[in-house]
Amino acid sequence: MIYLTDGTKACFLTAFLYAFKDDEAVISSVQTQLAIGQRTVFVAADAEKAAKAEKRLLSFDKDCVDDLLLMLRSGMPDHEQIAFRYFRLLAEKRAPVRGMLAETAVLAASECIRKVTYEIHRMHGFVRFMESASGALYAPLAPDNDIVDLLLPHFRTRLPEFPFVLHDVRRKKAAVYDGKSAFTAPLDRAEIALSADEEGWQALWRRYYDSVNIPCRERLKQMKSYMPVRYWRFLPELSARDPFSV
Amino acid sequence: MIDERRLKILTEGAKYDVSCSSSGSKRKNTGGMGNGYVSGCCHSFTPDGRCISLLKILLSNDCIYNCKYCPNRSDADVPRAVATPEEIAALTIDFYKRNYIEGLFLSSAVVKSPDHTMEQLVRTVKLLRTEYRFHGYIHLKGIPRADEALTREAAKYADRMSYNIELPSERSLKLLAPQKSKESLLLPMKHLAEEKRVFREEKRKGLFLPAGQTTQMIVGASPEKDGQIVRLTQSLYRNMQLRRVYFSSYVPVVHDSLLPDLPAGQLREHRLYQADWLLRFYGFTAEELVPQDEDLPLDLDPKCAWALRNLQLFPVEINRAPLEMLLRVPGIGGRSAQKILEARKYTALTFEHLQKMRVVLKRAKHFITAGGKFFGAKNESAVRGLLTAGERSENAAQLSLFSTPEAAYEALTGEL
Repeated sequence: MIYLTDGTKACFLTAFLYAFKDDEAVISSVQTQLAIGQRTVFVAADAEKAAKAEKRLLSFDKDCVDDLLLMLRSGMPDHEQIAFRYFRLLAEKRAPVRGMLAETAVLAASECIRKVTYEIHRMHGFVRFMESASGALYAPLAPDNDIVDLLLPHFRTRLPEFPFVLHDVRRKKAAVYDGKSAFTAPLDRAEIALSADEEGWQALWRRYYDSVNIPCRERLKQMKSYMPVRYWRFLPELSARDPFSV
Repeated sequence: MIDERRLKILTEGAKYDVSCSSSGSKRKNTGGMGNGYVSGCCHSFTPDGRCISLLKILLSNDCIYNCKYCPNRSDADVPRAVATPEEIAALTIDFYKRNYIEGLFLSSAVVKSPDHTMEQLVRTVKLLRTEYRFHGYIHLKGIPRADEALTREAAKYADRMSYNIELPSERSLKLLAPQKSKESLLLPMKHLAEEKRVFREEKRKGLFLPAGQTTQMIVGASPEKDGQIVRLTQSLYRNMQLRRVYFSSYVPVVHDSLLPDLPAGQLREHRLYQADWLLRFYGFTAEELVPQDEDLPLDLDPKCAWALRNLQLFPVEINRAPLEMLLRVPGIGGRSAQKILEARKYTALTFEHLQKMRVVLKRAKHFITAGGKFFGAKNESAVRGLLTAGERSENAAQLSLFSTPEAAYEALTGEL
């Protein structure tokens, strides 16, 4: 049986209660190819059931919901199934399983979480703001995982005096800080009037980037492993370059 | 706004400084812009594979010194440029605001006098911290022979300071950088370390170089052996409380009869960094790694080489070995060792488990058993052969007249 969820925590936990005893169960938020004889049910979030499941799971491991929240951010198509296997093991053992790295379910879960937290760390560095005519900052990005709102606190403590928008153009949503409070909102497309100096600063940055490189020590493979080409689109220093001849 | 021409000159003059780390500072945002990022943060990567974390720039490249290896030496025919503290501060702020950088790494050629130069540097950081209320990372290069009061003032505003040792021995320093002496480089480092100790002991308010001090030396411009360099590195960590020692393999940007014409091998620099890591995180001592007057082997990493010299200690049982010993197994790094410690609490680990946990077994399998099972090669020469296979051909070099160390030194100094 495939349990289809809407991707939220409550819905996952509800599905978990249904699927727990079913050895063949798959939990997913995306419609997948069905095997012969396999059936699909759409799970509606049930607040009461979800709370019950959460309470029970927390009694086994007080940090497990934090794990779940990170896993649900993952862009991997089977991330809910990974979380399901992890939580099923937790329910079986009735104690934290985080350290059982010899278990496939735990390894997959920790890998999934690491991908999300690593991308958050990377994006702290790779986000590029441009300055609008009003002085607010705007950064478009297309992360692998659904993390824009998790990036917000970092930039808020760092730039408390600047309103800014982190725009996830892939998921069409934005994390916004208006100078006082923060919120997320759907955002399809943004029209930004740039400040008078913006182009100039970008040109200086490109000049800096080219000058600081040591050409006789080229190591493109290393560079691309640290900063994958899929992220280049929004970096002013690289957006116009051909990845094959940087 | 600074113009592109000067930005280019001042950046190219600064880029051979290796240090780019922005880690170690917990500076808070107390109104204004910026804060520290304890683990450090990379903002971009250049095609040479290095990260850009800080805006690495000179205040001026117009130097009164004439260090042979330096592209900015006084008798070099290169375009010169100067930026004002105001220009550098504005550049830092606008780059930081756009999240291009994590902070500033400011250095300078010695203009007019060491004191004058240091004053300009201090003015720049002070401007950033007080006028612009900037709390991002600032790494400041110290100017040797500048007044001690100026150095102390600088340390109040910077997160990290560094004096570059430049060359691994006093003899080479005299030859290639005659205006700098060992004392002029080590003394301010000592003073700052002492000052920081007092600051901590008295629990004074504020911050004093929260990210400590670092240094850098050029490898391959002078004839010192790795054994000497690794020992010097160890003593800097122990006696000066340095956070990092950087190595930069020599790149011939200027030609001089006293300097080699070929760049030093990148592999040698890599081996030195591996040795440096072993000193800092793996509990090794310099004496264990390499004899005083020898180089690190190029065909094996220093940990492998050590393990092959100490085969009587291996193999170790992965399910029982203490952390210190796991860390000494070739191919097992800090993260793998932690994973093993954690996982073996729950079950007896097998090779299959290790593989699933992504512990790299290519080298490790010759030095470990898992549940009593051993899958490595039988004797030392077989292990050595397997570990160096494929590395040899890459590092083969044509012997030259100056291949022996003595000849190389003589060729360099002209002494016979």
